[in-house]
Amino acid sequence: MDEGLSFEQALKRLEAITEALQKGSMNLEEMLALFEEGAALAKICHQRLNKAELKLSEVQTTFEKDGESEEPA
Amino acid sequence: MQVYTVAQITGYLRDILESDGVLADIWISGEVSNLSESSAGHLYFTLKDEASQMRCVLFNRKRLSVEMENGIAVVAHGRISIYEVSGVVQLYVDMIQPTGVGILHMEFERLKAKLAEEGLFEPSRKRPLPAFPERIGIVTSPGGAVLHDITNIISRRYPLVELVLAPTTVQGESAVPGIINALNALNDRGDIDVIIIARGGGSIEDLWAFNDEKVARAIYFSKAPVISGVGHDTDFTIADFVADKRAPTPSAAAELAVPQGSELELRIQNFVTAMITTLAGRIEQNRQHVDDLADTISTQVKNAVSISQERVRGQELKLYSLSPIDTLQRGYALIQHSATGELVSQISKVERGDMIKVQVSDGQFNSRVTGSKKGLQAWMKDFPSNKH
Repeated sequence: MDEGLSFEQALKRLEAITEALQKGSMNLEEMLALFEEGAALAKICHQRLNKAELKLSEVQTTFEKDGESEEPA
Repeated sequence: MQVYTVAQITGYLRDILESDGVLADIWISGEVSNLSESSAGHLYFTLKDEASQMRCVLFNRKRLSVEMENGIAVVAHGRISIYEVSGVVQLYVDMIQPTGVGILHMEFERLKAKLAEEGLFEPSRKRPLPAFPERIGIVTSPGGAVLHDITNIISRRYPLVELVLAPTTVQGESAVPGIINALNALNDRGDIDVIIIARGGGSIEDLWAFNDEKVARAIYFSKAPVISGVGHDTDFTIADFVADKRAPTPSAAAELAVPQGSELELRIQNFVTAMITTLAGRIEQNRQHVDDLADTISTQVKNAVSISQERVRGQELKLYSLSPIDTLQRGYALIQHSATGELVSQISKVERGDMIKVQVSDGQFNSRVTGSKKGLQAWMKDFPSNKH
């Protein structure tokens, strides 16, 4: 399992695996292997959603911090 | 000193007038007089007040929001230039509003109409928002509640993203260049998936930077799609019209920018359930198939065994029919020489006084030979085995 997968990629792969399984045109070993991958992907997705912490950064602009703070809270 | 032609001077005047920033974008109020219409549909009139008057021409009647007639008071927007053919300085009007409307509202309507004509608000140019953004740019004031709200909402709904703040003032003189600069800074990075441009509620003056033409164009030219969330849901700004998506408030903009985490959880769960159901179904099918095969095999083995048993029994019967027991039951006896164990089938095998063992159908007894006589009894002579 590629841990470097983005959430979107993981979710799309999970969706594709579910669809492939439901088509049912493969043998049981293949199905089991796909299921294993799908279950791992689902776990990754859940973990990402539950454990992620919002990252905050800032770009340099012309704004100066000591400028007037005009906006009401 | 030099003598100029009239055309040189009117040309010179035109250059001066048209290079002046104030004259290029100006609202003038006055009373309409000398109104006339050319065959091409252009309107010519004079705007006058107690002290003065000015020639006006309106080529595009689409921007006319009043019924034009002599004597009415209007406010006209346009640029001042000189019509060189007659040497008259005039206002080239692009919009006329009735008096009594605030200047900001007039300006708003004028810019909205202008940009709409240019196609900046076309639904067809609105770009879809990414379903799963990884990096979200935020153009807003760094200190305000707006940033706090946006951060909270996104953190709760979909914390997988990186928020990149492009801080700017959002009102006052520095707001317009600040917003444009912030948008550019985000777009220059090249890795921003969607940009939220937001400001909390306020008066029309407070929100004015979001009605600026340069800001509108910066939003239009943004590489990343832009979500506007300016003021309250009753406030509409030019930025809202040109943005790819208008949110009624900054918080709503944050919600539009990211998917809902709990819905995603549900979706993932549904995938897992579907996978398990499918797989369990397939395993059950396979089990059934194995059971069926096992049944078939066991039936066939049973059949094969019973066929073999039949055959063994047949052989057994055949064997019994060949054994001497039947013969003994019919009254014949099997005689062995007691000393040698040899079968006695001829009289020459025994002598008087020898002990013999006589086997009959249910047992045996011992006997002694007392004499012998050669020759068969008469009925035995026809017995087939003696024919040779």
